[in-house]
Amino acid sequence: MWRRSASFVVDKRYYQHDELPLAMDPQNPNPNPNPNANPLSAYYLTRAEHHAVVTSDWLAQAQAAVGRHPSPPPPPETIAGGGGGKERGFGVIDEFNYWRKKPDLAEAVAAIMALAAVIRSSEATTMMELEIELKTASDTLKSWDTTSISLSAGCDLFMRYVTRTSALEYEDFDAAKRRLIERGEKFGEISLKARRTIAMLCQDFIFDGCTILVHGFSRVVLEVLKLAASNRKLFRVLCTEGRPDRTGLRFSNELSALGVPVKLLIDSAVAYAMDEVDMVFVGADGIVESGGIINMMGTYQIALVAHSMNKPVYVAAESYKFARMYPLDQKDLAPALRPIEFGVPIPPGVEVEKSARDYTPPQYLTLLFTDLGALTPSVVSDELIQLYL
Amino acid sequence: MPDVQALVNDFVLKLKRRKIEGSHATAKQTAEILRSVVSQHRMPYTNQAASLIDAVRAVGEQMIAANPVELAVGNIVRRVLHIIREEDLSSTTTAIEGLGLSDDDVDGDENEDHPALSAAVLAAAARSTLRAPSLQTLLEDIPVSAAAPPNSSSGGDSEGRSKSAEKSSRSRKLKHDVIEAMNELIQDIDTCHEQISEQAVEHIHQNEVILTLGRSRTVKEFLYAAKEKKRSFRVFVAEGAPRYQGHVLAKELVAKGLQTTVITDSAVFAMISRVNMVIVGAHAIMANGGVVAPVGINMVALAAQKHAVPFVVVAGSHKLCPLYPHNPEVLLNELKSPSDLLDFGEFSDCMDFGIQGGSPLLHVVNPTFDYIPPKLVSLFITDTGGHNPSYIYRLIADYYSADDLVVQGKSTS
Repeated sequence: MWRRSASFVVDKRYYQHDELPLAMDPQNPNPNPNPNANPLSAYYLTRAEHHAVVTSDWLAQAQAAVGRHPSPPPPPETIAGGGGGKERGFGVIDEFNYWRKKPDLAEAVAAIMALAAVIRSSEATTMMELEIELKTASDTLKSWDTTSISLSAGCDLFMRYVTRTSALEYEDFDAAKRRLIERGEKFGEISLKARRTIAMLCQDFIFDGCTILVHGFSRVVLEVLKLAASNRKLFRVLCTEGRPDRTGLRFSNELSALGVPVKLLIDSAVAYAMDEVDMVFVGADGIVESGGIINMMGTYQIALVAHSMNKPVYVAAESYKFARMYPLDQKDLAPALRPIEFGVPIPPGVEVEKSARDYTPPQYLTLLFTDLGALTPSVVSDELIQLYL
Repeated sequence: MPDVQALVNDFVLKLKRRKIEGSHATAKQTAEILRSVVSQHRMPYTNQAASLIDAVRAVGEQMIAANPVELAVGNIVRRVLHIIREEDLSSTTTAIEGLGLSDDDVDGDENEDHPALSAAVLAAAARSTLRAPSLQTLLEDIPVSAAAPPNSSSGGDSEGRSKSAEKSSRSRKLKHDVIEAMNELIQDIDTCHEQISEQAVEHIHQNEVILTLGRSRTVKEFLYAAKEKKRSFRVFVAEGAPRYQGHVLAKELVAKGLQTTVITDSAVFAMISRVNMVIVGAHAIMANGGVVAPVGINMVALAAQKHAVPFVVVAGSHKLCPLYPHNPEVLLNELKSPSDLLDFGEFSDCMDFGIQGGSPLLHVVNPTFDYIPPKLVSLFITDTGGHNPSYIYRLIADYYSADDLVVQGKSTS
């Protein structure tokens, strides 16, 4: 009765993941105790931390401070010290986790910071040694969380930079190493700058009196709308609820603190509300080679509805989220699982779809706003080919 | 440079009064005026490129503001700015490379904060600043901009410290190179029709039926070229109301011995099923691959899509505009005099201001342009070859530098 999807390979991985998270150990040269040895993906946990999954506690808190910006508690200032003393595999993950905790840093940035820390603590004396060390570290990172796209994209980008850039030629090893570390550490700055660039780019597209539909919580989209609000543009935002983590509630809270008129929708009201919408703005977890995006569950159906009603769908995402993947259908991704509460006990024998994100094909997207400029979806493959060919 | 200013003012006035219209004419005149701006510009000793860019930009802003609908003016201004940047960079990099080989000290104290940078690295980095930002340069970006701001010619400064004698020759060289490149640009604008029509035989086949609307010089030359190569084909010309330029085109085609049929604009849907290809000209090609074209062409594009007929746009590269159509219906249109539609004598009695609180009951609207979204266009044929709408961004990245889009965008809006 139940037909298995064509991409049975993924299905296999799915079950493996479910039962035996340590099953990959034989392939992994640096077995690491994955702290999340449960069916929830690490990707989801990061999201939950950064985008503050809305619980009733949070709502009470928000209600208590109506209109006030709920500032997240400052991250503990315990410097992990590069993890120099520990074994390499552990060090890079600790480092990564340390950076990941920072609320403003994206995962790709954290990955690059962690790799830069690997270079710093490395005792390699030749470029080749360093490369091998970095490769192991980045493989460890990637296998630690196979579901995160921007993590692997960040690792790939940095590896590509280290191994093939022409900027390191004609230099002695120490200078090159210093340069790499510096570059890695500047990356956080680059990512913040990228968000500002994207916000600037989008300003021309937000006209007075428009209605914008947003889905979920995206820091880039928030930055865009913040800048638009501070430029005294008059616009209205429709926020989807973003079940089950209700990230839309958090987003609407941020927006109302800015004084932007916001309306909350349940996720199933998108088609109903689409006729009053002028444009759809979404973020992305990853932009894949076809120019499509991987984003929070529900993006695909919003894009479909918007496309059928001739509304533009804009994606705001930093360019380090460009990933070398080419998903052919929804099941082609390693699913990132998350818990879903229904409020009532689910009858036994009923399955629940727990995947946290979906793939939106490029034909439903109008433009991608990245720090490389406003791009059509087909540019993405061009950029990736230029970089990795 | 008072005489240049007079030239500019004259041109601005003509643009404002719509004495000069059409992208080819405006593009050419803009390029010629900017050439005289550059040639009359007095070069200071430092930061020559920056001062040249400022001068061109000041004039450019005036000309763009005079008639924002003529997008070709802005395109040419940006092209010229890009040319200046490119020429400046090429001379800077050669200078740095030369210095790096001969004298390492100068290079060392030029960027004290990055002593590790070797001359070759700096040169490579400087070369990459002009390219549009890409993933490749993402990680290299920040130190480069800190060490060598793209606008100022840092090579020029360091050279000034070492060899001041060479400077005057270099300043003349920059100007000379820029003017040479601009001459090339003007020539490109002139010859774009020939280069486009060279490709005609690849696209028009024996016994095909071509449909066009209105009159475009590029389309005319394109059809002529196919005819000259002994292709026999038939052309349907939609008359292009309300200016009826299609009638003129039909006469011209017949004079060359082409089988021509004139149809009304409203007959396009009726005839489209017999057509093999639609070829039209454009007013401007936008950065997303959309087209601003004479009014009525969107209807033709929709008809072509309905019947899966290829919709081909021929346009010279001076029509390539790096802006996005944010709200094309509002921003990029021009409303012409209603006398094209109705004679004043016919509708003057409808315009009785006494009846309805001072406002006339009859309105006559005569827009000039249509916006055709990129998904309706099958192919662009420019002087550099045929391109898909999604490829337009790459042409734009080649022709314009990213700095100019933003600055000009702000100044125009």
